[in-house]
Amino acid sequence: MNPNEAIARKCLSYLTAAGATQGVCVASVGTKTEFYYESGSLGLLRTVRNVTVSVKALVGTRKGVSSVNSFEEEDLKRAAEEAVSGAKISKEDPAEGLPEEITVQSFEKGPMVPDPEAMLLRMTEFFDELRERYPAVSVDSASLDHTLAESVYCATNGICLTTRQGAYSFSPMFMCREGEHTSSFNYFGAVFDAPTTPVIDLAGGRGIIEDSLKQINPAPLSGKFVGDVIFTPACFAGLLGSVEGNFLSDSVLIDGTSIWKDHLGKRVAAPCFTWSSRPRAEELTGGYFTTEGYVAEDMDIIKDGVLQNFVLGRYASKKTGLKRSPSGGGCYFVEGGTESLEEMIASVSHGLLVARFSGGDPTSDGTVSGVAKNSFEIKNGKIVGGVSEAMISGNLAKMLTDITSLSKERINDGTCVLPWVKINGITISGK
Amino acid sequence: MFDDSFSSFSGFSAPTELRRQCNRSRRVALLNGDVIANSRAEQRGINARVFREGRCGFASSPEVDVSAAERILKQASQNAKFLADRLPSAGTALDLRERISHRDLWREDSVPQKDILDFLSQIDDYVKKIPHVVSRRVNCSCLSLEKELITDDGVYGYSFLPRSNIAIVLTALAPDGAPVELYQVLGGSGLFSDHFSDPSLLFASIDSIAEQLMQKRDGVFADAGQKTCIIAPELSGMLAHEAVGHTAEADFVISGSVAGTCRGQEVASSIVTLTDFANTFDGKVLPTPIYIDDEGVQAKDAVLIDQGILTGWMHNRSSAARYGDAPTGNALAFSFADEPLIRMRNTAILPGKNTLDEMISSIDDGYYFTATGNGQADSTGEFMFGVTMGYEIKNGKLGRAIRDTTVSGVAFDVLKTVDMISDQMVWLNAGMCGKKQPFPVGMGGPHVKCRINVGGK
Repeated sequence: MNPNEAIARKCLSYLTAAGATQGVCVASVGTKTEFYYESGSLGLLRTVRNVTVSVKALVGTRKGVSSVNSFEEEDLKRAAEEAVSGAKISKEDPAEGLPEEITVQSFEKGPMVPDPEAMLLRMTEFFDELRERYPAVSVDSASLDHTLAESVYCATNGICLTTRQGAYSFSPMFMCREGEHTSSFNYFGAVFDAPTTPVIDLAGGRGIIEDSLKQINPAPLSGKFVGDVIFTPACFAGLLGSVEGNFLSDSVLIDGTSIWKDHLGKRVAAPCFTWSSRPRAEELTGGYFTTEGYVAEDMDIIKDGVLQNFVLGRYASKKTGLKRSPSGGGCYFVEGGTESLEEMIASVSHGLLVARFSGGDPTSDGTVSGVAKNSFEIKNGKIVGGVSEAMISGNLAKMLTDITSLSKERINDGTCVLPWVKINGITISGK
Repeated sequence: MFDDSFSSFSGFSAPTELRRQCNRSRRVALLNGDVIANSRAEQRGINARVFREGRCGFASSPEVDVSAAERILKQASQNAKFLADRLPSAGTALDLRERISHRDLWREDSVPQKDILDFLSQIDDYVKKIPHVVSRRVNCSCLSLEKELITDDGVYGYSFLPRSNIAIVLTALAPDGAPVELYQVLGGSGLFSDHFSDPSLLFASIDSIAEQLMQKRDGVFADAGQKTCIIAPELSGMLAHEAVGHTAEADFVISGSVAGTCRGQEVASSIVTLTDFANTFDGKVLPTPIYIDDEGVQAKDAVLIDQGILTGWMHNRSSAARYGDAPTGNALAFSFADEPLIRMRNTAILPGKNTLDEMISSIDDGYYFTATGNGQADSTGEFMFGVTMGYEIKNGKLGRAIRDTTVSGVAFDVLKTVDMISDQMVWLNAGMCGKKQPFPVGMGGPHVKCRINVGGK
């Protein structure tokens, strides 16, 4: 038996002994090896190991949760007892329970052991290339790490899901300087299986760096107009996260504040927009199991502009009467279009190419505004230069219906695959 | 509370820090009366950081016994050697000043989880009677960081940093059917029992949130453009932390932040003084009181802007040595698995001489922004804050409430437009700063009158 499974099963027995009628235990071991650059130096090699035991106890339909980062007998007992005592003082909630499907499966993916020599090579190669080809780039921090996550989900009804997953991850944060002029900071991130490719070429990183170099001395935007905005894939990922949180997720459907709560099967986006969640995609480092103990399945969220699925867990499903989402969320794919990015830019009469959106949290109805960072002004189909102090405002739901085109080029950062997205009718204002 | 098994550690062969840490957290949350979270968690472990030729090795383990400490000391040494053997010497020294030993007082969090749940249920019972509220959330989160530090040069530090907050989130429907939300976070530094002894003591705050929500429900959208505005302590604190503070963290200065280029220069109106306080201001203990940092340095106030002049930065031992500045004790780590980073503690603009009424009456056409949801800034000092509550100011008087908007600007440009600052300040303790690791921070300030960009329709 997997050692983590033995821990989880032992914990389940403590749960039952303490009075739980049902229970779940997730026992995990995580190890991380990280090379970290900051303050102008590749100065840190960090090795981190942690264990976590998360326990959920149900006493009837009352729930309590506890977690400790120890596999010691007395800590496991204490966690189980805390979870059960928490459940006993909680409120009855018929929506609580365990997954009905009893699954016993194992899943392994990715590199299990880090290659420190290769990691160091990739980091030094990255900084060597910056020095030689992009000397105006100043890196604030950069991390290249390898993580191995081993976990077991066990429930009292017989579910046992074992995961062993390794992955590398690279994320630099940088700015560009020339004399007294400094660009906004910028970043990119990539998750990948092997340190065989120069990290600057992952997730469109080179293009992001080269764009930042053109934004060292941006001009403040003047005036106010309604125009087109092209969002880069990384920026659009953030907007999709807000769409999920505001319209599709558990809490907004339970409390009924989602403006899409009655929109399943209805048009919520432009017909050219298809968005799916694919945790089983080979090219992504997704999870094979959901955190609730189900085998994750790929699903469409919006297909040809029509809402197909919420991103809803079991509890929220029971609470709302809506169907549980099979994917567990994340691992986004958005279908590309037929135009190139260049053609999309050429079609804009006045607008922005936005690489980063620094905005307030969208309101419940999706109203959002914020600063367009690391962005370019587009006039008459041409990029005229970097802009600063440009604010954009709109509504998330309306933005999706106002999508006019998606690029045929897409970026895969290891967590999602997205195109550039052009949206019209966005209010753009400057000083 | 830790046992004394680590106090005898000595004989480190290189500059070394050995830290034992335990983070404890609790979360109870009600959504429309249902218990959606009811959890306790503990994360404990030890770490070692070893320096060698300007590089450092770090290792951590969830086991906290002496043999685990010996194991991670060895691993950290090997990590430092790995870098030192393969890279040229970085040669950066560590500042040797302001080394102290210090011990905070530990206090046991003895409130049963049931009492917290009962407390929230009573709050929820009160909230659900408020007319027009269509959704309500009442969340409690408690977090404490307990740390013990031993270093090669004999420093011993023990710190205990608890905080307890209750957040109340209310949603109503606007006349156009759009959901409108407002929230407030109560509580602060200390244990649950320090702040929440009687639910009825919170009812006045809840009434105030409800009243503002009803105003916001009927609110108007702000006009986009640059306006003269008054920003309340929530926003002036955010300005101090996000837009100025981060640019004055020495690691950010090294990589090229705007504050690195204008030390000694005028960056704000002469009535602006801005400080990152270590632990105490005006005789009162602040929301995130730090007496010794995670490198064993005595925490000192870092004056960033003094009467409009940028005077200093926040440091760890390495950056203090690099710039020849006195160390400020700003090196802090969130968990046992984290290395210390240069972090803010309690950052604020200091009070001025005006009353809020004087400030409002001085504006013909502008806004009074009272609450914020989030904020971001970058290396240039350009910032954005979400505004979740505010009012128009017309002809020197408060007007209609506004719906959510954002404000933005370039920090040093905005601070140069400041012409009035209120004589009262408020400290806030709900912020978690994100910079590789999270960290609980305090921020606050007075009301500040300035010119700022407003996002709107």
